[in-house]
Amino acid sequence: MTVLVVQLLTGIAGASALFLVAAGLTVIFGVTRVVNFSHGSLTMLGAYVAWSVVTRLPHTPAGFALGVILAALALAVLGAGLEVVLLRRLYRAPELLQLLATFGVVLIVQDTTQAIWGAEDLPLARPHWMRSFVAIGTERFPFYDLVLIAAGPLVLGALWLLLHRTRFGTLVRAATQDRDMVAALGVDQRVLFTAVFALGAGLAGLGGALALPDGSANLQIDLSVITDAFVVVVVGGLGSLPGAYLASLLIGVLQALGILLIPKLTLVIAFAVMAAVLVLRPQGLLGGTASTPRESAAPPLVRPAAPVLRAAGLALLAALIAAPLVVGPFALTVLGEALTALLFAASLHFMMGPGGMPSFGHAAWFGLGAYGAALAVHALAWPLPAALVAAPLVAGAAALAFGGFVVRLSGVYLAMLTLAFAQIVWAVALQWSDLTGGDDGILGLWPRGILARPHAFYWLTLGVAVAATLLLRRALYAPFGYALRGARDSTLRAEAIGLPTARLRLVAFAIAGAAAGLSGGLSAFAKGSVFPTYVAIGRSVDALLMVLLGGVQTMTGPIVGALAYTGLYDTLLLVTSAWRLVLGLAVVALVLAFPQGIAGAAQRLWRGRMA
Amino acid sequence: MLKVEGLHSYYGRAHVLQAVGFTLGTGEVMVLLGRNGAGKSTVMKSLIGLLRPRGGRILFRSTDVTGWEPHRIARHGMGYVPEERRIFADLTVAENLAVGRRPPRPGLPAWTEERLFALFPNLGRMRSRAGGRMSGGEQQMLTIARTLMGNPLLVLLDEPSEGLSPLIVEQMAHAVRALKGAGVTVLLAEQNFHFAAHVADRAAVIESGRIVWSGTMAALLADEAVRAAHLQV
Repeated sequence: MTVLVVQLLTGIAGASALFLVAAGLTVIFGVTRVVNFSHGSLTMLGAYVAWSVVTRLPHTPAGFALGVILAALALAVLGAGLEVVLLRRLYRAPELLQLLATFGVVLIVQDTTQAIWGAEDLPLARPHWMRSFVAIGTERFPFYDLVLIAAGPLVLGALWLLLHRTRFGTLVRAATQDRDMVAALGVDQRVLFTAVFALGAGLAGLGGALALPDGSANLQIDLSVITDAFVVVVVGGLGSLPGAYLASLLIGVLQALGILLIPKLTLVIAFAVMAAVLVLRPQGLLGGTASTPRESAAPPLVRPAAPVLRAAGLALLAALIAAPLVVGPFALTVLGEALTALLFAASLHFMMGPGGMPSFGHAAWFGLGAYGAALAVHALAWPLPAALVAAPLVAGAAALAFGGFVVRLSGVYLAMLTLAFAQIVWAVALQWSDLTGGDDGILGLWPRGILARPHAFYWLTLGVAVAATLLLRRALYAPFGYALRGARDSTLRAEAIGLPTARLRLVAFAIAGAAAGLSGGLSAFAKGSVFPTYVAIGRSVDALLMVLLGGVQTMTGPIVGALAYTGLYDTLLLVTSAWRLVLGLAVVALVLAFPQGIAGAAQRLWRGRMA
Repeated sequence: MLKVEGLHSYYGRAHVLQAVGFTLGTGEVMVLLGRNGAGKSTVMKSLIGLLRPRGGRILFRSTDVTGWEPHRIARHGMGYVPEERRIFADLTVAENLAVGRRPPRPGLPAWTEERLFALFPNLGRMRSRAGGRMSGGEQQMLTIARTLMGNPLLVLLDEPSEGLSPLIVEQMAHAVRALKGAGVTVLLAEQNFHFAAHVADRAAVIESGRIVWSGTMAALLADEAVRAAHLQV
């Protein structure tokens, strides 16, 4: 019994640090409507700064407290700087481009942190007072965890007072509901937003610093924390602080108990909770009235390519067909990768652009296709072509089954549910090692027979990727595509004229999943292996970057984006070890320069010249 | 107080305001009359800066404020009462008023909660009620009171009578006259001719984004032909 109580308390202690981070995320989102992907990076920096400061101060409780506060303040200043330099310029940009820009920040912070503090984990040497225990029954409970348990409600209370008992708080809550009206009443939004960002970043830093003694300052914090914090915010209800606390308690406790009961499923728990909550209560546990959506122009029409562009495409295709006759095997591998990426990006574009369903977890379908094809070869001994057919079928069937839940949601909630599903697939791939080989993956999938020759496999890749991409394009100009876009632009009006909007979205979702699965299958044979990284967040982010770089609302967007991204990535890998820094800076610069994406910007330029 | 010259505004590609111009003297109440979609609200949004005009000039208190951010225009003394009211639904009446609060202007008595509750007695009785849990008329009063907390010298009132019961409209007319009495200049946008006739000194008639007639309210009352051509549905 006491074991259970101690485990429960451990869960609550873990929940506290998570709540602080999530509180910062939800406050920032509430006012600025920016989904801040770099929030985990701020947490990570909080841990590193705290490590540097605390190790230099006296090893007393007061010294530690001072160090934590200094770390939080440092991050608040940094957050304010981030807002002034970058985000301020993006408030009128589409939501997803803001996300892209903050992801660029994630990359920049990764390399910068590594340059300053090194790649090694930095654990905090715990002073004597921190190692003391409190007796609970027959068990011993760490004193520091009690400090953490107290920190959660204390910060929640302080935030509540700040938001309800100060003029700043009143303005923040008013701006959360209608920021334009607040401006029309004479409040300078820029000052308010900078302050809110500083507050949120400070909370992230505080969370990172407080969690330091129980772990270490390391370079994995950013992505692990951002997903957990997103889960907490979405489960609690976007913008709700008590909701965030409740959600972090729920997830922290379930995870702590889960370790006792079903250790194999720990990775899945948080995301299973999120999926369940989103299905049963789409607005989150305590999520209330949605604020008035801001006025946004209707997405531009997707028009068929101009003749010039069509000619350019044909020329490119001819060049790609002739490529094996000209270039060497390495370049051929890179081209094959780019083609696979193109299909992957096109599939995400299909659901995001015309389908209006942004996904943070598109790697799920890519990975399912890759594992489906790999298992067909490995366990069922199917030949490659049959396995390549199995890939989209597996992914498409899974997308069809799971899509029923997804298509009922929209916006950030929908994106988070897809992320939850991808994380579940990832956890299964990692933890069900009997079937998937776990971390070691499935090896030895090289094509055999005639396809073993690089030329032949390249042409197969080219044929499959181009045909599938053209089919996706065809679907958009069929009545199905029109209906789908109608459903995106106005669900109500589309339903009023008798369109089955949910079914349209579901079919689009399944098609996108199948296409991504096909791309995963191609990738499995190109690399000769599959690993859980195929389903990891990084892969989903790759797809998002490609689509957003290219521009969501043009058909050429994913093509340009995939080629630009793989090109940039492969070149950077060759040239510099700080590729993340350069890529991050490039992403940020591109977003600032082309808020409509590269292809979108080119299209505008083109039309502007014609007009 | 306000001088508008050749104002052009767009929603995307739609050219909504086409060379709108008028002047408004200190202490006057002027009404912008026009049918649905004539461009009244667009004039209001362009003046406060929520919509950035693409052509023309706005001189407010002898300063060119064209292209300024809304908060700067508001701080310069312009108050905006939007048609949709845009109450902060989760905030209490007192908190809604607090958002609008700005320092008093030299030489003018400041608007305080007490003074506003004297003008709108209903509000005083529901100080701690959430804005979202009020009737339409009460919300309209709160929007006006919230804007007055900023001690504006000019108030833009966008269709304050819309969708309200005759009794409440009567109170609104009283409030507008009280504003005039307190030395506040008022620009009113209205479809309700009778309401406008009660409160305004001067009128401008707007149709398809152009000012087609302007003059005193008395002249408009006398000119049956103009009213028939531009205002009757």
